Amino acid sequence: MSALFSPRWNFLSRLSLVVVAAGAVGTLVALWGYWRTPYGERLQEEVVQPVMFDHRHHVVDDLVDCRYCHFNVERGASAGIPSTEMCLNCHSQIWNKSPKLEKVRESYFIGTPIEWVRVHQVPAFAYFNHSIHVAKGIGCVTCHGRVDKMPAVTKVASLTMSWCLECHRNPAPNLRPADQITSMAWEPPSDPAARAALAAELMKKNDVQSRVSCTTCHR
Amino acid sequence: MPSMKTLPILQDHGQPQRLSGKPGQRSLWQSIQELEGRSSGRAGEFAAGAAEVPPELSRRSFLQILGASAALAGLGACQPPREKIVPYVKDPKEDRPGKRFHYATALALDGYATGLVLAASDGRPVKVEGNPLHPTNQGASSAWDQAALLDLYDPQRAKGIWRRGQPLSWRGFLAEVQKLARAHDADGGAKLAFLVAPDASPLLAELRRRLSTRFPRARFLAWAPATADHAAEGARIAFGRPVDMHLRLDPARVLLSLDADFLAGHGESLRLTREFARHREPGAEMNRLYVAEAAMTVTGAAADHRLRMRPSEVAGFARAVAAHLGALPGAEALEDPARDRAARVVAADLARNRGRSVVTAGERQPAAVHALAHAMNAALGNVGTTVVYTKPVLGDATPTAAALAELAKAIQAGQVDTLVVTAWNPVYAAPAGLDLGALLAKVPNAIYHSLRDDETSRRCSWRVAASHPFESWGDARARDGSVSLVQPVIAPLYESVNAADLFAAFLEQGDKGAFQHLRDYWQARSGLQGQAFQARWEGWLTRGLVPGTAEPADGPALNAAAVAAAARSPAPKGEGLELALAPSYGVFDGRFATNAWLQELPDPITKVTWDNPAYLSEATARRLGLADGQVATLTLQGRSVQAPVAVMPGHADDCVTLALGYGRSDGSATSKGVGVDAYELRTAPDAWFAVGLGVAPGKGKHKFAVTQGHLSMEGRPLALDFDAQEWAHGHGGHELEAQRGPVPSAQPPVDYSKEDYKWGMSVDLSRCTGCNACVVACQEENNIPVVGAEQVAKGRNMAWLRIDRYFAGPAADPQTVGQPVMCQHCETAPCEYVCPVNATVHSPEGLNEMVYNRCVGTRYCSNNCPYKVRRFNFLDWRGEVPAVQTMLFNPDVTVRSRGVMEKCTYCVQRIERARIDARVAGKKIEFVQSACQQACPAEAIVFGNLNDKASKVARLQEDARRYDLLHDLGTRPRTTYLARIRNPNPDLA
Repeated sequence: MSALFSPRWNFLSRLSLVVVAAGAVGTLVALWGYWRTPYGERLQEEVVQPVMFDHRHHVVDDLVDCRYCHFNVERGASAGIPSTEMCLNCHSQIWNKSPKLEKVRESYFIGTPIEWVRVHQVPAFAYFNHSIHVAKGIGCVTCHGRVDKMPAVTKVASLTMSWCLECHRNPAPNLRPADQITSMAWEPPSDPAARAALAAELMKKNDVQSRVSCTTCHR
Repeated sequence: MPSMKTLPILQDHGQPQRLSGKPGQRSLWQSIQELEGRSSGRAGEFAAGAAEVPPELSRRSFLQILGASAALAGLGACQPPREKIVPYVKDPKEDRPGKRFHYATALALDGYATGLVLAASDGRPVKVEGNPLHPTNQGASSAWDQAALLDLYDPQRAKGIWRRGQPLSWRGFLAEVQKLARAHDADGGAKLAFLVAPDASPLLAELRRRLSTRFPRARFLAWAPATADHAAEGARIAFGRPVDMHLRLDPARVLLSLDADFLAGHGESLRLTREFARHREPGAEMNRLYVAEAAMTVTGAAADHRLRMRPSEVAGFARAVAAHLGALPGAEALEDPARDRAARVVAADLARNRGRSVVTAGERQPAAVHALAHAMNAALGNVGTTVVYTKPVLGDATPTAAALAELAKAIQAGQVDTLVVTAWNPVYAAPAGLDLGALLAKVPNAIYHSLRDDETSRRCSWRVAASHPFESWGDARARDGSVSLVQPVIAPLYESVNAADLFAAFLEQGDKGAFQHLRDYWQARSGLQGQAFQARWEGWLTRGLVPGTAEPADGPALNAAAVAAAARSPAPKGEGLELALAPSYGVFDGRFATNAWLQELPDPITKVTWDNPAYLSEATARRLGLADGQVATLTLQGRSVQAPVAVMPGHADDCVTLALGYGRSDGSATSKGVGVDAYELRTAPDAWFAVGLGVAPGKGKHKFAVTQGHLSMEGRPLALDFDAQEWAHGHGGHELEAQRGPVPSAQPPVDYSKEDYKWGMSVDLSRCTGCNACVVACQEENNIPVVGAEQVAKGRNMAWLRIDRYFAGPAADPQTVGQPVMCQHCETAPCEYVCPVNATVHSPEGLNEMVYNRCVGTRYCSNNCPYKVRRFNFLDWRGEVPAVQTMLFNPDVTVRSRGVMEKCTYCVQRIERARIDARVAGKKIEFVQSACQQACPAEAIVFGNLNDKASKVARLQEDARRYDLLHDLGTRPRTTYLARIRNPNPDLA
């Protein structure tokens, strides 16, 4: 009686072992790599909101300052999402019959809040505070990108710890004057010397510190 | 290395080491077993089985969990669902996301209020703090005040209105009550009765006045398990009318407590602790405290001389002291020569301090002892300086023990058709022999208004859920009479009714709302209108105090003859032992038995959690043949309970002490079956002690969940204390010298002087009374879980701040030292070198940081911590938190999960909040307090910036009493201690 397995099975069984091992390692590597892709970081991902709010229109066409709606950004940890009432400050007067705002009016008159979908989310063990960043001269655009060019807000910065630490270790290049915090178009001077001088001036004026101890963010 | 031979040293194992040489030096020990060399500590610092998975977790369920986590890990590869952001529809004027708001309010316990400030975040209260403007607590708060927050969010609270098992709406309830009230109008309310909880609320008193106008024949009875009948009767004997006695301890130099635990308990203990502690530093102003008591109390542990005696012997001792003071005619010598001498010496010390001394009698003592205390204070010229009398604050809602008997009689006679009960759980806490449950079942309409469903609600035909004080409008008075408005900080979480609304329902004004009743009452009382009143009202709410409402001092005349006549009343006689009952430091009279924080709070003296052992002295236990933990049958007047016994060092002989409030048959899972019901032995209505107790050894052994043994500090100089005399002569100074200052270290020194802030803490052992307020405040601030009795017994207690308690001297009559221990924030922290993942690191300001998201749970740090202050999440204590309880969590502190190490952070979230607020405003941090410091009534804990040389903590680090814990290890702790100084009377040495 011939053997149950012919000699070529030796090769196949060895190959299958290699494939399994390589597959396991490959899966881990792929997952590790995946979290570093824009997809894994959820960058540029379209988020469907309950109301088709267009930042582009409000910021560029209407020249509404960020702080009109995100009223808490200079005072608290959260920047604040405007209440329905705040939408109707204007929209009771203009576009007050627009079907696109039906949900807003419904929310106001029925009293149920609008459930917006979160785009920027840091883990629960990281305690981010808007007010201190704004007070020290970090502009909105630094983390949130050109919101004035976004029909729907998408995430442009990874918000990973290494990304945060880049600036926490060396905040100077990211500082801007207090009157340019909400500006979407402001650029630091192109001349390297002027740029460095401005950064140094703001570091001193705003008493900016490089804070990298763990409890700065984790408590 | 400093010489350790010259210091009082804790000996954890084997025979206690007797240290020869200087006076006052002795070995310290933690438990009787240790003193006798029976220490279980030799087996290691952790209890046997501490590393084992609880038995309910079988291999099968472990594999199930493993499978589930594998499945969840698989899901993790997908993107997590996006969170929702839900803004307001209409912005409330004052709220801003994430901002802390503080609201002044008050919380009353048995009628006496503490002024509080509730910190609320996003519309929910998350921290209870004391109101610094309030005269009776001056910013401090008690463990009970702190723990009230857990009750607020308890998912097991009573909900809704029920009549004979059928739910009623609020409107339906009002209609039903209206029908009842109109039926009672016919006979002027002759068959209507109210059994109310003690309160001093002006609004509730006004509502009761209006009720008695409508129902002139209705019965109003006030009752609570712990009444002040004896004090009232004592005042009646001495002055012919009831008065409240207030102590002023600031000018007092010599204090005699006759079984009075005035440093703990309710009423004015927070203020008294503060005033007492302020004069515990060595010097001319240092006070001296004598305490005569049976079981060791917080006050007894703070005493310079603790005179151990049975409760029934206190009267005789008081008579002897009074006779020596000339406050009582004639003199009788006490049988015990040592006690006779003590009475002489105490009287002489009191007499030397005329006008600067205090004699106070405890509520448990009979009226004659209270009368004697009044007579002694009068004889010593203390009235007006250290003792002030006022009219009683409680008024018509003064609880009496006789109220229940009167009610029972009326029910039996069929004179009660409608009974409204707002008093706490009378069925459970009624004296043995009075079957109130059966009687209540006979009342056609027994309406029970309570925060929880308990033994009483089962017997009442109507159950009305009470709103929590943090959800209600109202007012309350502190013991000095100061009125605080009670304002809600959150809307009622469950359908529930305020006490004011319940009373108003009988006036057919239930739909008016407590707020309107309150405002109308105070507007009428202020006599102001419109804007003028509004401004004043807002001022009252903001400050949490109505100014000028404290009771003025009263000058009652002493009737010395009546006191002398009352003092002759014979001491109770009988065969057998003596039973003493006491409210528990955790669950009080039982009303906090459902509060897990308070159940797990270690007893200040014995460190027992989740239990009420029958405490007795070592000699008595030996005489009765009882071992620690052995179950015994306690029999008094034909009633008996089975209770495990525990030896309490310093307990009076031939006496057994049992705490009230345990052994609940109903209530929540937290309280059911925990401990022994002492009310079953409370035969007389106002009995706090009784003679004639029989104790028979029973079968069975009980294991107490004690937090003391497993946290021993392995024979090193720890809690240091010195006598004032030796301290004044320079002894102790050089010994402490060896416990501070630089230590050679292999580590390169770090210069912290350039930083803006160098955080540090100072703990004054002279001031600390071990009251536990800091422990609960820390638990609340830092989201610390409760683990249960079984896990505490395994040493898995999670409290970041523990209060170690050491005994010194003979077990029969030891002295005690309490020592709060939390992370010492060592500059060269041993935990940091051993962490393989850098999860515990040092900040530039010197904080020892714990990074939960890095921790992988090796526990190396805990093994290497000499102070044993690190706590490991052996299990997922937060596995299934009901939604309502997640509102309890402090949003600024991470909720830790299984496998993560944690420990005191110096309240880093408070530091960072203060830093951000200061830096946004372009300033430096001006004020930051740790949670423990904020709660401490004794001002024993001081936290602050050591680089600010003007700060209190920096000054205390230079104090002569300062020393570092385990200094010779060179850890350079940022938390430093101030040695305890005792002030014994040399004549009584």
